[in-house]
Amino acid sequence: MKCAPQAKEQIERLVVDSAMFIDRDELDAWMDCFEEDARYIVLPRENRALGLPVGIIHCENKARIMDRIVCLRHANKFNPHFDRHILSMPRILSVEGGIASVETNFMVVQTTKTGESRLFCVGVYEDRIRLGEPDSKFVERIAVIDSFAVPTLMATPV
Amino acid sequence: MKAWLPLNSANTPWQRPDYSRVPFQLYHDPETYKQEQEKIFRGPVWSVLGLEAEIPKPGDYRIAYIGDVPVVFNRDPEGQINAFVNRCAHRGAEIVREPYGNVQDFTCIYHSWCYTHRGDLVGVPFLKGVNGKGGMPAGFDMRDHGLRRLRTATFNGLIFGSFSEHAEPIEQYLGALMVENVGEILGKPIRLLGYQRQRIFANWKMYLENVRDAYHASLLHEFNRTFGLSRLTQTSGGYMDDRHRHAMLFQYKGSDSDDTAQKAYKDGRVQRGDYMTLTDPSLVQSIKENKTGVSTRIISIFPNGVVHQIANCLGLRRIRTRGVAELEIEFVLFGYADDDDAMTAHRVNQANMVGPAGLISMEDGEALELVQRATSADPSGAGVIEMGGTGPLMNLDTRVNEIPVRGFWSYYSELMGIEPAGAQR
Repeated sequence: MKCAPQAKEQIERLVVDSAMFIDRDELDAWMDCFEEDARYIVLPRENRALGLPVGIIHCENKARIMDRIVCLRHANKFNPHFDRHILSMPRILSVEGGIASVETNFMVVQTTKTGESRLFCVGVYEDRIRLGEPDSKFVERIAVIDSFAVPTLMATPV
Repeated sequence: MKAWLPLNSANTPWQRPDYSRVPFQLYHDPETYKQEQEKIFRGPVWSVLGLEAEIPKPGDYRIAYIGDVPVVFNRDPEGQINAFVNRCAHRGAEIVREPYGNVQDFTCIYHSWCYTHRGDLVGVPFLKGVNGKGGMPAGFDMRDHGLRRLRTATFNGLIFGSFSEHAEPIEQYLGALMVENVGEILGKPIRLLGYQRQRIFANWKMYLENVRDAYHASLLHEFNRTFGLSRLTQTSGGYMDDRHRHAMLFQYKGSDSDDTAQKAYKDGRVQRGDYMTLTDPSLVQSIKENKTGVSTRIISIFPNGVVHQIANCLGLRRIRTRGVAELEIEFVLFGYADDDDAMTAHRVNQANMVGPAGLISMEDGEALELVQRATSADPSGAGVIEMGGTGPLMNLDTRVNEIPVRGFWSYYSELMGIEPAGAQR
């Protein structure tokens, strides 16, 4: 759909920045992309097809997103790696009441600390974004992943 | 790499009859892997296929795997449960290509041979030829060309399949401990909540060891230790069936104090012992829903299944081999049909603890791959399994205990025909 240039710019900025924050390991900044009661879910495409709720990661609010990151920093052990997100252009479905519905394809390539890359995950972000200045925020981000046979493990959010 | 040929009791890889040294070569040898497919997965065992709740309606099917072999389990129009190998009797093509569905019959796309849910061949196009030419010879009988059927058995909604006529009756195979505990977890109608899949680039047996290894759960998985879901200082244990092929690791959350545990782990020189807090502690809340109050049960069913209860997160795990150095775990999460919305939401939240991103399971993917990598270059060494003691295989009321891992190897070696002299059973 067509939307105001300012809205388009706000959407693109949040979608691109949030991916870059993960790649740069700036997870505090990544968490700040979410509203207090925002949901963040990594949903296997097969569960979407079956209408089943379980996610690979399933956070119903920002407190739970923050708990995930606390665990990642302090408890979880995982394969040392770098992430690199490759995004499509966002497809803007609607903007209503200051909230944009947006779909963006993504790919995450993981690279080991010795320089070996593999395609880790591919899917689509289904986002609802509250537009604003200076910052827009996610009201909801559902990352529906096609590659739901997850190789090794998923520690860092996608 | 040197292959052990022939693999037999006279040429056993085991150095010790109590399985307290595990030869690394067992994780890497392609010939061993080939024989496992035949002697374990097509041997006298019951493999987990799935849950009746996954195929609730007549006509429903789902693909599962027994070792490497794709198997279709289904519910036929009469409501009976069947299982067959997903391979056309004509030219060997895979028949079913969608992982699940509901069908009237199963038709191979290659030459349109058509089968019932039981696997009976009921359609061969141009069987009699055209205009008196071609067609099958007069002696061709469709009844001789059905799909390879498996025996099936169900226990409280859990479906098993077997290639062997020698597998025991299912409850006898499971043993009293598993019947009681799996029976309780699957004791009332369930509701599917979703699937998670994880591929680990390690030999399949490492995962079977992992789910029988009571010792690692609070050391590798710091989340367990921090939130008291599993600690070596709790009332806990590792029990097995009489033949030591299955195992149940369990504990009671709340049976130790945070302070006692913290001191014990510090004295044990465990690093990073500081406890963190969760903004939303409902993630680790255990709502009592069984008679003893046991808070975690990891029940491994030889050879390819796990039924787990971790607080209120309930699930089945199907383990599939994918070659000598890769396995897939499919987590099937469920609740009960009579759960209210709040309980369902609680279980969906607690599913964060398992699967490839599981707060107390993601590490297994990393740990197994570390072993696979480090042992592949020189598989001549052996792992050490002595926690909980050596010698006889026994149940212990502690998780400072690796005996169920030795139990696994004991039954494995019996089926593989590689038991050493004086082997523990």
